[in-house]
Amino acid sequence: MIIITGASKGLGKAIAKNLIQKDKKVLGLSRTNNNADFDILKCDISNYESIKEVCKYIKNKKFSIEAIINAAGIASMNLALTTSKKSTEQIINTNLLGTIYSCQLFTPFLIRRGSGSIINFSTIAVKLALKGESIYSASKSGIETFSRCFAREVSDFKIRVNCIAPGPIKTDLLRGISDDKIANILKQQVTQKQFEISDVCNIVEVLLDEKSESINGQIIRIGGA
Amino acid sequence: MKKDEAIIIVIETIKKLTDEQIIAERNTKIINDNPIIDSMKLIEICIELEDIAEEHGFNFDWTSEATMSNTRSMFRDVNSLSEEFAKQSENKK
Repeated sequence: MIIITGASKGLGKAIAKNLIQKDKKVLGLSRTNNNADFDILKCDISNYESIKEVCKYIKNKKFSIEAIINAAGIASMNLALTTSKKSTEQIINTNLLGTIYSCQLFTPFLIRRGSGSIINFSTIAVKLALKGESIYSASKSGIETFSRCFAREVSDFKIRVNCIAPGPIKTDLLRGISDDKIANILKQQVTQKQFEISDVCNIVEVLLDEKSESINGQIIRIGGA
Repeated sequence: MKKDEAIIIVIETIKKLTDEQIIAERNTKIINDNPIIDSMKLIEICIELEDIAEEHGFNFDWTSEATMSNTRSMFRDVNSLSEEFAKQSENKK
């Protein structure tokens, strides 16, 4: 079974649906209720105790966890100086702490299984240091460094930790960003095109595949940067 | 759970997870200057103890601010780890 955080919408939902289509078993986690047509448990990943409750559920059900996909995240395109304390904390808590908590608490299930793959999510904004994304990028930059270090900590357990850093993929997170700004970001990618959610799903499939044994501790920037 | 029972559990767990390569005793150092196990084995022992704790009806929390401390870590030696395991079994009843 594959745990996917942020599974009720956007990238997380698309990845979940794609994997289900490929006959994978998915356990989605989401902070909000939803109308998804697959199993989703309510879980606030920025809340350590909330994740522990999911761990209890997994143990009771005796699920074998083969992968963790940390797709939950919130974005806020705002200057650091004009971002409220509340928003700042929400971004860091959900994106960075949520990913760390998820890895801390779910990885023992992969260790019990004897192998596994963890996929975290960053953004191309980290590499490009985009204006107006200081706090969002800081949270994602933290995820990148955490992923690279954590990969070393768990590699002996045959667990791989990688990070996908998409560019401006068409999801809800792009809502409110002007076409000009998107075009400007695309110009800075190696491949100057706007990739689709399906491209991210393809990379997820590659990273889940045991043939990707040699890919570990990597940041995969979709489109290149 | 009495501490003596916890000591037996910890010693048996170390023995099992090291394929009987390490026969620990009450005062055997675990993570000190000359650790008997590496960090990977330490995690495996923690996970095994977590599972054993569940069988005994309590949760074993092996996270700590002092994991790597030579003086305060619960992983200093078999005795300190057993003490913590027994303590958590009493606290979480």
